[in-house]
Amino acid sequence: MSSMFLKVFDWVNHRLPIVNTFERHLSKHPVPKKVNFWYLFGALASVVLIIQIVSGIWLMMPYENTEEGAFASVEFIMRDVDYGWVIRYMHTTGASMFFAVVYLHMFRGLLYGSYQRPRELVWIFGMTIYLVMMAEGFLGYVLPYGQMSYWGAQVIISLFGAIPYIGESLEVWVRGDYYISGATISRFFALHVVALPLILIALVFMHLVALHEVGAGNPEGIDIEKHVDEDGVPLDSVPFFPYKVLNALVGIGVFMIVFSIIMFFFPEMGGYFLEKANFEEANPLSTPEHIAPVWYYSPYYAMLRAVPDKLGGLIVMAGAIAILFVVPWLDRSKVASIRYKGIFSKIALVLFATSFITLGYLGTVPVTESRKLMSVIGTVIYFGFFFLMPFYTSLEKTSVPPERL
Amino acid sequence: MRLVSLLLLITFSSLGYAAGGAECGDYGDCDEFDARLLDNSSLQRGLNTFINNCYGCHSLQYSRWGRVAKDLDIPESILFEKLVFDPNAKSGDLMKGSLDKKASEEWFGVAPPDLTLVARSRGSNWIYTYLRTYYEDGSKQYGVNNLVYPNTAMPNVLEYYQGKQILGCKQVPSYASNGGVRRDADRNIITEEECGHLLLAEGSGKYTAAEFDTIIFDLTNFLTYVAEPVRADRERIGWFVILFFVVFTALSYLLFREYQKDYH
Ligand code: HEC
Ligand code: HEM
Repeated sequence: MSSMFLKVFDWVNHRLPIVNTFERHLSKHPVPKKVNFWYLFGALASVVLIIQIVSGIWLMMPYENTEEGAFASVEFIMRDVDYGWVIRYMHTTGASMFFAVVYLHMFRGLLYGSYQRPRELVWIFGMTIYLVMMAEGFLGYVLPYGQMSYWGAQVIISLFGAIPYIGESLEVWVRGDYYISGATISRFFALHVVALPLILIALVFMHLVALHEVGAGNPEGIDIEKHVDEDGVPLDSVPFFPYKVLNALVGIGVFMIVFSIIMFFFPEMGGYFLEKANFEEANPLSTPEHIAPVWYYSPYYAMLRAVPDKLGGLIVMAGAIAILFVVPWLDRSKVASIRYKGIFSKIALVLFATSFITLGYLGTVPVTESRKLMSVIGTVIYFGFFFLMPFYTSLEKTSVPPERL
Repeated sequence: MRLVSLLLLITFSSLGYAAGGAECGDYGDCDEFDARLLDNSSLQRGLNTFINNCYGCHSLQYSRWGRVAKDLDIPESILFEKLVFDPNAKSGDLMKGSLDKKASEEWFGVAPPDLTLVARSRGSNWIYTYLRTYYEDGSKQYGVNNLVYPNTAMPNVLEYYQGKQILGCKQVPSYASNGGVRRDADRNIITEEECGHLLLAEGSGKYTAAEFDTIIFDLTNFLTYVAEPVRADRERIGWFVILFFVVFTALSYLLFREYQKDYH
């Protein structure tokens, strides 16, 4: 029996690089032996990606992508499909957790300079993933066709209208109609379930291929390849499998506990994961009192509202995301990790994180004069962090990181 | 670092700004409602009140008769005999109501909305408060108005239960500027007159104030159930799932620690 199995395995392995790939990317792939919890979020993002794909496939079966049927089909899933509610809450909780995890993953990048040479491309692929995720989240949010689906889409699509000359025709092109309708739902459905997930998977693959080519970083921000044994294996590394896999498993376990607590006990998360207004079916004739995006877009929404002019707001919003792409070239520091950077970098990062969280809050509440002022200040700090980065990172006094991990 | 902490303080303290209008309109903050989804007799009473007083105007169009019967532990034969007035209705039918949407829009100005999800869109606290804050107001079409939802198009359909409420003035304890209750030399609480309070004309309704609150509690409880019929199940199953992941985490931690010895 077992020799039979071995024969088959051998046969396949001669035609498909199984052992080779396993060794190269897992059992002989060296990773830094000492990293901290910040390095878990990539693995967690992969877990959530799988959750989203699997739950998404099951949601798709009973979901109806029509103007009349969409909202009711979601309630059908919640009530009449066996364990449909498990699938749906998995997907809605997953969407928010995806962003939570990815935001922490990105923050790790800023914290330890992970984007620095030679990992620029890993960062660029990451940012592209983030961009696609934002589009994916937006499209998905329209599908249940509640009030916030409708009016959120209305706000976002009308942003295209602010673009000079082509704006209005672009709006119609995106909607597939002169107003949001069944045509919009069915095209958003196609993009949400097929086009963008395919792109996302391809990008994650490239992200990991690029990472494995240059090797993972560490919180000290030092190059472990400088000290290698006679086989060329870094002295401060351990094989990815089984050591780091087991480490990740513990992290995944803790994460799944948090995930389950939210999913089974607080699926609406106080209106942040599932907005109240979205339990009402879309009604083009009645604008909700207060239109707020889901929390993961709200920092950008606050920036949009901070600028009085619509086109200006759009440019600021797009700029806020675009500027993240070039961070590897804005950081001129001799060191990578915040541990060895100077005081200005530390202050800048704290200010940046504070402004981003504050903007995030401001984007979820109705505007008042004082909040508007706060949004302007937050936006200025946000951009200041990036625009001044070349200066404070090159001028400040850094300390010397250790040679070894 | 001092600068940083100061900035942190400023940003976070400004987060505390009052969030615009109060949750329950002119009433202020809503009254607290804690659902009791495992209390089947409360849910059954709520269903009964709903069908007899609300179902004529409001549908529950995503909910099915049979499901409600099963979840609330009501034999279908009894449900159909006592509460389903449509002789053609079947167990798997949606509770679509019988009201003609067009005609009702003409009567009320707005069609009475479907209430299946109202406990999730408005919140249970809101409903619980809304149904108890009607008051007499001669200037309105039905002679009543509502504190939570001013100028609501819905008449006070439960007035014969509750009786008449008016907006009036009453004596309330007065507070010193430091927040403490003011007292006179004999330690008696000093009161002052405050207006805009709901005052019930005792005996004008079929039930006492406390009984009426219970009726509304049961009704809100039922609407909370029907907005998410799986909620009790979800919380029960949740414990097992969490337990599973706790065990999973513990085991993977032990395994991880075992392997960690190799490289430390
Ligand atoms: C005579 C018809 C009628 C009856 C009976 C009736 N309602 Fe209403 N109800 C309305 C109308 C009309 C509205 C719309 C009010 C508005 O939007 O101004 C409404 C609105 C509501 C709302 C607010 C929904 C929202 O989100 O705006 C709730 C909650 C509600 N009714 C609960 C009840 C309950 C509970 C009962 C039974 C005790 C009941 N209604 C009986 C006509 C009725
Ligand atoms: C679907 C989303 C994503 C997945 C599944 C994913 C997955 C991963 C994984 C598994 C790792 C290695 C483990 C780790 O360091 O955490 C990693 C590393 C990295 N990721 Fe991502 N990632 C995602 C999104 C992003 C985004 C949005 C960015 C930034 C814009 C980003 C930037 C990086 C960087 C710079 C590294 C290298 C870190 C280092 O080695 O020091 N990733 N990613």
